[in-house]
Amino acid sequence: MSKEFKSGTYLEQIDVRNFIQTNYTPYEGDASFLSAPTKRTKALLSEVERLLQEETEKGGVLDIDTERVSSLLTYPAGYIDKEKEIIVGLQTDAPLKRGVNPFGGIRMARQACEAYGYKLSDMVETEFSYKTTHNDAVFHVYTDEMKAVRHAGLLTGLPDAYGRGRIIGDYRRVALYGVDALIESKTADKKKYSDGDMDESRIRTLEELYKQIDFLKKLKDMALLYGIDIAKPAQNAKEAIQWTYFAYLAAIKEQNGAAMSLGRVSTFFDIYIERDIERGELTEEAAQELIDDFVLKLRITRQLRTPEYNDLFGGDPTWTTESVGGMGEDGRTLVTKTSYRILNTLYNLGAAPEPNLTVLWSENLPKAFKDFCAKISIDTDSIQYENDDLMRPIYGDDYGIACCVSAMKIGKQMQFFGARCNLAKLLLLALNGGKDEKSGVQLAPKGESFRGPLQYVAVRKAYHTYMAWLCKLYVNTLNVIHYMHDKYAYEKIQMALHDTEVERFLACGVAGFSVAVDSLSAIKYAKVTPVYGESGLICDFKIDGDYPKYGNDDDRVDQIGVELLKEFSDELKKTPAYRDAKHTLSVLTITSNVVYGKKTGATPDGRAAGEPFAPGANPMHNRDSSGALASLNSVAKLPYEYCRDGISNTFSIVPSALGENREEQAENLCDLLDGYFGQGAHHLNVNVFDRDKLIAAMEHPELYPNITIRVSGYAVNFHKLSKAHQLEVLKRTYHARV
Amino acid sequence: MPESCFEVGKQCNADPSGEYGYIDSVYCGSGVDGAGLRCVVFFSGCNLRCPFCHNPETLFKAGEKTTAEELVHKLKRYKGYFKRGGVTLSGGEPFLQKAFALRLIRGLHSESIHVCIETNGHIADAELLKEADSILCDIKNQETDDLSVYDSFLNVCEKIGVEYSLTNVLVPGKNDGAEKLTALALFLKGHSALNAIKFLPFRKLCMEKYEAMHLPFLYEVFREANEEDIVFVNDFLKKQSTMRDIK
Repeated sequence: MSKEFKSGTYLEQIDVRNFIQTNYTPYEGDASFLSAPTKRTKALLSEVERLLQEETEKGGVLDIDTERVSSLLTYPAGYIDKEKEIIVGLQTDAPLKRGVNPFGGIRMARQACEAYGYKLSDMVETEFSYKTTHNDAVFHVYTDEMKAVRHAGLLTGLPDAYGRGRIIGDYRRVALYGVDALIESKTADKKKYSDGDMDESRIRTLEELYKQIDFLKKLKDMALLYGIDIAKPAQNAKEAIQWTYFAYLAAIKEQNGAAMSLGRVSTFFDIYIERDIERGELTEEAAQELIDDFVLKLRITRQLRTPEYNDLFGGDPTWTTESVGGMGEDGRTLVTKTSYRILNTLYNLGAAPEPNLTVLWSENLPKAFKDFCAKISIDTDSIQYENDDLMRPIYGDDYGIACCVSAMKIGKQMQFFGARCNLAKLLLLALNGGKDEKSGVQLAPKGESFRGPLQYVAVRKAYHTYMAWLCKLYVNTLNVIHYMHDKYAYEKIQMALHDTEVERFLACGVAGFSVAVDSLSAIKYAKVTPVYGESGLICDFKIDGDYPKYGNDDDRVDQIGVELLKEFSDELKKTPAYRDAKHTLSVLTITSNVVYGKKTGATPDGRAAGEPFAPGANPMHNRDSSGALASLNSVAKLPYEYCRDGISNTFSIVPSALGENREEQAENLCDLLDGYFGQGAHHLNVNVFDRDKLIAAMEHPELYPNITIRVSGYAVNFHKLSKAHQLEVLKRTYHARV
Repeated sequence: MPESCFEVGKQCNADPSGEYGYIDSVYCGSGVDGAGLRCVVFFSGCNLRCPFCHNPETLFKAGEKTTAEELVHKLKRYKGYFKRGGVTLSGGEPFLQKAFALRLIRGLHSESIHVCIETNGHIADAELLKEADSILCDIKNQETDDLSVYDSFLNVCEKIGVEYSLTNVLVPGKNDGAEKLTALALFLKGHSALNAIKFLPFRKLCMEKYEAMHLPFLYEVFREANEEDIVFVNDFLKKQSTMRDIK
């Protein structure tokens, strides 16, 4: 009576999508089938909560293993509570204990240990004194100009001192095929590549394949530490989840990239779960328990970071992004019961920022699923939405989101994470004739310093000139970073879980978007006159009259934003990217909008020096005063065509403005998402709460330990944010109807 | 804009053709001004001077001159959100600018957009009522016990057959007593509309607006209504509905 999987081309070649398409069962029903947490889950959860509490009390880091360097086989098996765990495996030998990963840079590892009262062991220090890290290598090559713009904060958050992340291994391959078959396939690729002239690119590929195979073997050994053999394909749901988790675990042991995303596993798991249920081997309760246990593991993923890193990316995020839902190319929904089960963990285990649950929204999603998602947003503020109807035509129906908004075909595409350029600061640079407005250092070629009331056309021209200069420098800087990352900190296990022929993106980004756009609008529609300080640099602006502000669905200013993105995107493409990567662009800041603001002088839009920017593509705080839908419409105008790495919008609405009761609120939220995405918008973080609740949480953190909010493409636990970040969140627009 | 618009009790005859009108603002995005998500057009000018008015700016400011076509052009950009919603005309008092309101509603209808009019119910204009998809009428019993004006208004609505619902701003110490509530219940029963009313808690969020306009806010002395007040009056009304012939 055993039901075997339907066969397909996935049997002849590695093709997880084909396996999913031939075997999954779409689910159009509602959430009533879901199970509550079991006694076991609750017991394990309370143990994890105790550990999290302890971690908080210890200042954010529970423990650090300073003696060893994190990799697949560094630590013996670790457990939270061996008896109670169903899915096993920890990053180190104890829960929440952080490993050190100095491959990206030893200095950062050392500083991170010191920040929490630890000292990196002499053994690790000595070992790495003989090694070139990614960070060392980048600085061996950086030009003076690159160092200067980096230092000034014109380019910030560059992944030159830790893992670059944003790469999603197709972790499902391990479950579907078993490690042996993957080794076999890579070995065959290596043999194929051996044939031909040994030029630089071929040698590099061969060396990478060697590393991939080597780490696949290590992956198998890592699982054996837990007494589990993953050489062969998983046979049931529990194994499928365990195999997949081991592959992900290997990745986060090996790499400390900022964003180590999971991909799109729910519907894949569903195939195994539904088969087990049909066979009578699994109950609904047990199925939910498997997912709960898996998610609990993802929630305690940790990397060791420095306080400076936390300034950029507040709240200790890992971006264990899981993409849920979406539609298939054949018109069937990819929503399955396990899409529900994974979202249900937010009820079973309580609201939490990780995994970063990302719903791929389509107008055609089953209505019951939309309603379920909307209610979760209202209840937990823990999920984000991205436009599947926009991405599917480009990436097909087996893509995933890395980090916050970066789409890629799983196992077929990867990206070189490129952080971002500060557009507002660049404008000030242009107005100051190429000088940094804060230090006065001549960063860029000398130009004319603007005097008297600013003329839009002249400012725009100068801005373009400096943008062209910076884009070239930006791409070249990223080329250095990623060449060195490939050379000294190559993602062996993650790339082993990609096709050998992989498509690459060079993911650039911009910050300070709304400040730059409003500044240009002010110059165009009001009278803006620079004020000069003693140093001869512009220290402030005098603004006479009003001007249209981005975020009010006013084309006069919104179109300035559209032009700016097109211009920036076009300029980037003029400089070739490393390994023939395709240039992409994101409008995303994570929480770095606070630090960027700190590093930027007063701007022509009236923003004071040092004040935070709005996050991502958001309109500037409280300038979007024409209502929630007007604000959304402005952001929806930004073309994904020029911003293929994503356009992030974080949206907060007070419950009483959204609808009179929970049912109404949920229905209105669905209408809102349909209306927003129907215009081709890309992403929306949704928060439904009152500002007062956050003020209360700030004053009495002990009463609100689990407030989770969406900040910028990810969620955080509110009390884990720094004071500066908390205050910035409070300054944001809370759409209300007064 | 002609002064008449701001004189209490006089209709605005700003533009008899309705080609243009005066509005205070457009707010795009409310889930609580009628069904679904809605954009709200705040008309300038009102025939009443309620001391608890939440939008004093619509009483005394001339507003922005705009054409119906301009507004339709702006509002149709929100069609994607209007699955169950649409546009609500509010104010101020939309019925004061009848010709303009008619033109605006017809324009919105040509874009298949649902239109609700929020009104004080003092101008029972059948032509305008016929054009609207739904009516939201606020019963103001805070300063008066005479509800006859609403009787005539609802009679017209009922005759035409336009769907309506009612609101009442609950001001503790003003209209939350047994006498006021009993009278209100009686009035509602006359229109079989006991379930059609929604109590809105009195709030003082508008005080900033009064301050900015250097106007006194006479209701400052009353406390804001809370959830319990609302529950109390709803219960009170529920009991009234089960009682027969209270007189």
